[in-house]
Amino acid sequence: MDVDLNTNAGQDGFSFHGSWREFLPIATTNLLLTVVTLGFYRFWATTRERKYLWSRTEFLDERLEWAGTGKEMFIGFLVALAVFLPLILFLQFGIQALILRGEPVIAVVGSFTTYVALLYLIGLASFRALRYRLSRTYWRGIRGGSDDAGWTFARSYLVRAVVNILTIGLMVPWNMVGVWRDRWSKMSFGSHFVQVGDGSRVDGIMGRWLLLYLTPLLFIMIGGLLAGFMMATGQKPAGAGPTAKAMGLALAMVGIIYLLLPFIVMPYFAAFYRKVVGEMSLGGLSFSFNARTTDWLKLIFGHIGLVIITLGLGLVFIGYRNWAFFVRHMSVTGDLNTADLAQSTTPLRSDAEGLADAFDIGAI
Amino acid sequence: MTSAWLYDGETARRQAVTVSKRGPFLQIVHDGERVEVVPADTLTFIEARSGELIYGRSERPGWRLGLAAPLPADIAALLPAETRYGRWIDRIGIGPAVAIGLVASAAVLLGVRALPHLLAPMIPDSWMHRYGDALVGDFGGKYCNGPGGQAALDQLARRLAPTAKGLNIRVVNIPIVNAATLPGGNIVVFKELLSESGSPDEFAGVLAHELAHVEHRDVTEAMVRETGFGLVLGSVGGDMGGQAHQMASLSYSRTAETAADRTAIDMLHRAGISPGPTADFFDRMAKTEGRLGASLGPLTYFSTHPVSKDRAAIFRKAGTRSEPALDRDSWDALVDICHNDPAQQGRAYDRRFNIIGR
Repeated sequence: MDVDLNTNAGQDGFSFHGSWREFLPIATTNLLLTVVTLGFYRFWATTRERKYLWSRTEFLDERLEWAGTGKEMFIGFLVALAVFLPLILFLQFGIQALILRGEPVIAVVGSFTTYVALLYLIGLASFRALRYRLSRTYWRGIRGGSDDAGWTFARSYLVRAVVNILTIGLMVPWNMVGVWRDRWSKMSFGSHFVQVGDGSRVDGIMGRWLLLYLTPLLFIMIGGLLAGFMMATGQKPAGAGPTAKAMGLALAMVGIIYLLLPFIVMPYFAAFYRKVVGEMSLGGLSFSFNARTTDWLKLIFGHIGLVIITLGLGLVFIGYRNWAFFVRHMSVTGDLNTADLAQSTTPLRSDAEGLADAFDIGAI
Repeated sequence: MTSAWLYDGETARRQAVTVSKRGPFLQIVHDGERVEVVPADTLTFIEARSGELIYGRSERPGWRLGLAAPLPADIAALLPAETRYGRWIDRIGIGPAVAIGLVASAAVLLGVRALPHLLAPMIPDSWMHRYGDALVGDFGGKYCNGPGGQAALDQLARRLAPTAKGLNIRVVNIPIVNAATLPGGNIVVFKELLSESGSPDEFAGVLAHELAHVEHRDVTEAMVRETGFGLVLGSVGGDMGGQAHQMASLSYSRTAETAADRTAIDMLHRAGISPGPTADFFDRMAKTEGRLGASLGPLTYFSTHPVSKDRAAIFRKAGTRSEPALDRDSWDALVDICHNDPAQQGRAYDRRFNIIGR
């Protein structure tokens, strides 16, 4: 049985059927149970939220299903704790003891090594979070996953992070696209492997990265010139000394930068996601993501507005809004023979996303 | 017989099936011919959609059966109930679950607050001594040993706390105005505290405060509390970074600080030293540290001894006529304990970076 996309004229293969009225009772009971259990319920809360969001997401002609459980997320968290606790204890107590004992060299080398290990673990965590999410996502009874454990990915992630530092951020787009491709190319859904792009890594995004990269520098230069100009002309409003004026100017600059930040960051991220998702395919299906900068800005300022108007309660809707945004802007073209899409043979690991959870990083 | 759809978990192909009850089994007929018999106890509830209920099989990942709701009564009797909040909560209902949660979390919070106080006396002194020695060592060779200084310091400590055992009070060649009680009866006095003290009586008050921390086992209690908070609350509540930060700062509660002050005043009275001059020291510190501002961070006395403003007043009110805490010569030897130590010469550390430098 072929799923023929042309029969679903007017659809783009992804649709979201959720409603905030349906989600509100889930979000509020999740919040309530999380509070009265001192946070312990949050693993089950995440599971309930995902079950809802996945079940309201239609891909081609069938809903997604989230098959993860709160228990496995809790176990994943305990595993992450076992990995991190020694590192954190060393950073907190070991370093202190070394310094007090007059071993600053060992202390510095030790903390440096620990931070490198943490960076490596962050890479590993982001790989495993994605693997976990795919392996618990079912569609027509088929799930995704990966045969890879992510060690190679974590190593290349570490190298890319170091390269980013050494090149003072100029190679960030190159490495971000690289990280995306490295990670997704190890993933599969059912019997099909995820295909990623192999063309230029910076085409279409480098310009916007430079906008993001250089604008703050430009601002500092303008601010410096302005300050110099005001000092040179000796403008002095009555009652305000030069320090007060400089402070006011600095504060105004900081305010402007915060307001402007989304306007210089979002063009880059919009182009980045359009590029990396647009390069992906699975079986006979090609994906694309069509959110433009204005869509991203609406999402971000929508979040801010919602949280302010609801006095913070709107925070429980951030995950919902992000997911709806992602689904509404995804689209897919091509053909898929459902009889050819066989069950995944990847292992069902039990480490969930404990590592990623510990670092508070998302899978996508 | 009820019509349904089925995914077999092997391919993504959707199959039209009919379903009926057959004893304790669900009988599923594929394409009008092939028959699958499923034991009812292997069926799991997956989810409810508008007008549909979906079930899985525990031993067949991806196997999904979709039935139109409402179900015929005989089939419904075979199928598991809907799950909602998680198995435990579904069993007792959300109302009771919230009530139990409230009681349990209140108990945990109270326990985390009260337990350190109860547990601290149970931790053997020898453990704390061993931990303290491992932590401190010889303080990177920065202990000062100028002639007569250590004897004066020990003499003052004995006068203030005649019954205390296993104390190790040392002056450290680090130019900050502070003193700290470390695990295992270790008290370190940073050298500038001595030069900033106008008289041995002022210093006696600060030292008595640290001796009170040792007597009250506040270090052990603070360690138990911070570790307990970190492990019990921080971990389950998430945010590892914040937790790490929390574990780093071993601080005493305000109650412990106030109690230490009370005991310090008692010690001073018993030793025949007036607490009054200590008030002058606090006032002077408040003034200088207030002027230098937050830039000094953890290097200031009040950053590690955050107590209420009337602290100086309490010491001043307790002031009495007294004998000097140390005679002139002993005090001079103590103040210059680092200056007069040849091993410490040329080891003057940079004021801002002394701890991490060199």
